[in-house]
Amino acid sequence: MNTPKLNVSGLVKKFGDLEVISNIGVTIGEGEFISIVGPSGCGKTTFLRIVAGLEESSGGEVRIDDTVVKGPGIDRGFVFQNDNLLPWRTVLDNALIGPEVSGGSDAAAKSRTMDLLKLVGLEGFEKYFPRQLSGGMRQRVNLARALAIDPKILLMDEPFAALDAQTREIMQTELIRIWEQGRKTVLFVTHQIDEAVFLSDRVLVFARRPGRIREIVEIDLPRPRNLSLKRTPEFAKYVDLIWGMIEEDVRHSVLVEKE
Amino acid sequence: MKGNSLVTSTASIVGGLLIWEVISRFLINNALFLASPSQIVVAIYKLGLSGVLWRHIEISTYEFVLGYVIASALGVLLGLAMAESRTAKSILQPWVSGLYATPTIALGPLFLLWMGIGIWSKVLVVITLVVFPVALNTEVGLLTTSPRLIEMLRSFGASRKQIFFKLSLPSAAPFVLAGLKLGIGRGLIGVVVAELFGSRAGLGQLISQSADAFNMPNLFAAVIILATAGIVMTAGFSWLEKRLVPWTRD
Ligand SMILES: Nc1ncnc2c1ncn2[C@@H]1O[C@H](COP(=O)(O)OP(=O)(O)OP(=O)(O)O)[C@@H](O)[C@H]1O
Ligand SMILES: [Mg+2]
Repeated sequence: MNTPKLNVSGLVKKFGDLEVISNIGVTIGEGEFISIVGPSGCGKTTFLRIVAGLEESSGGEVRIDDTVVKGPGIDRGFVFQNDNLLPWRTVLDNALIGPEVSGGSDAAAKSRTMDLLKLVGLEGFEKYFPRQLSGGMRQRVNLARALAIDPKILLMDEPFAALDAQTREIMQTELIRIWEQGRKTVLFVTHQIDEAVFLSDRVLVFARRPGRIREIVEIDLPRPRNLSLKRTPEFAKYVDLIWGMIEEDVRHSVLVEKE
Repeated sequence: MKGNSLVTSTASIVGGLLIWEVISRFLINNALFLASPSQIVVAIYKLGLSGVLWRHIEISTYEFVLGYVIASALGVLLGLAMAESRTAKSILQPWVSGLYATPTIALGPLFLLWMGIGIWSKVLVVITLVVFPVALNTEVGLLTTSPRLIEMLRSFGASRKQIFFKLSLPSAAPFVLAGLKLGIGRGLIGVVVAELFGSRAGLGQLISQSADAFNMPNLFAAVIILATAGIVMTAGFSWLEKRLVPWTRD
């Protein structure tokens, strides 16, 4: 592994009496792409929000470059499941909100953000409003907005969940392309196991009640990756392996939710 | 579709006016009870020529604008206070909600006693009618700020102040505008009724004076002018809403 970027140790989170996260510990290297999969309600979002500093932990700590996380900061960029764009702002002004809030919204930030919009494939749409964009395009703005603060770590919570299957696949290859160019450290939450395998260096498989890491699967597939990889037997083997790990848990959570 | 509905609406208005004309001319045929549209047009023309009409309109406009502007500013401030401070909310909420539901227009005669027959008793009535819906809408608008958007801003390290100015305020704008729009109709009613209670000039005074003299054409002239003012201002407001808060349309 490269130099450690993010270190989580003994992390616990309780909501009242409910223990949602129990003793999570993991070290993530600089530039690593990590996915998190697990049954619904196992605390993936909560984990990500704690790393983002949006939620306080009940025990343990999160360190970034050996500094304990105490709150949100522009060293981390959050890509939300719902794009959370401000409807009265144009694409460009939405993407610029991070620099603006942290007091760095100058001409340089603007030209950098323009480049980012180009990078995510939105050149020419800078002046559009969110309501004029498709779901896929809105998620691209969401991503560009997180990148605009040039974070060291990208935190992504099911960013493609609301997209149709084709758009999702395209966004996956786009994300890889963008990641290859900057090699940020990425924490990516998803329900799609094939998405996790396709994108990641390692996959954290969470178990539920309470949420914890059940297994860490190293994805030893060559890079750069493209969609044809998804049709190889090696790829299928990883998907099966991970599915086998969470199958019982998922079955259980589906049954519980039905009650 | 759109063009079609415009044609239908126009036809409906023209048809209505025609029926009105026919009824008042041939069925009732008594200028003491009902004036026909053509008589009203003539009345407006004559009142306009003599200059009396402009005097009435000027006074009523002055009272309305003064009351409306004061009430809007006051209402937004009250709404801000109620949304931002728990103490302010506990103190103000019962009064604002209570007075909003009260027909404060009934206090007109009291204001007349306090402030005399001049414009200020009318301005005060307008204020009491307009201020509360504006205050309540502003408060609701500020309080319904999306928690997801708040979290988005927080993730970039935004302060409370930044969240207020970059998020709460713009997302409350449609609510504030809706409150202001509601205020137009209420304010117009306030002006007229307050003038009916006692005044030296104004469209309400024209109405009561015409009623006393059984001058139906003049009475209707004042009503039509008031209706037009209400319709034009409300339409203007809708236009403004489309420009200022276009994202609320979908
Ligand atoms: N603010 C909160 N207060 C109380 N309980 C909460 C809160 N947030 C989350 N929880 C609970 O914590 C558990 C984990 O929630 P979380 O959203 O992290 O799960 P998740 O793994 O992201 O699920 P999903 O895959 O459905 O998004 C759930 O049981 C949820 O009900
Ligand atoms: Mg979640």
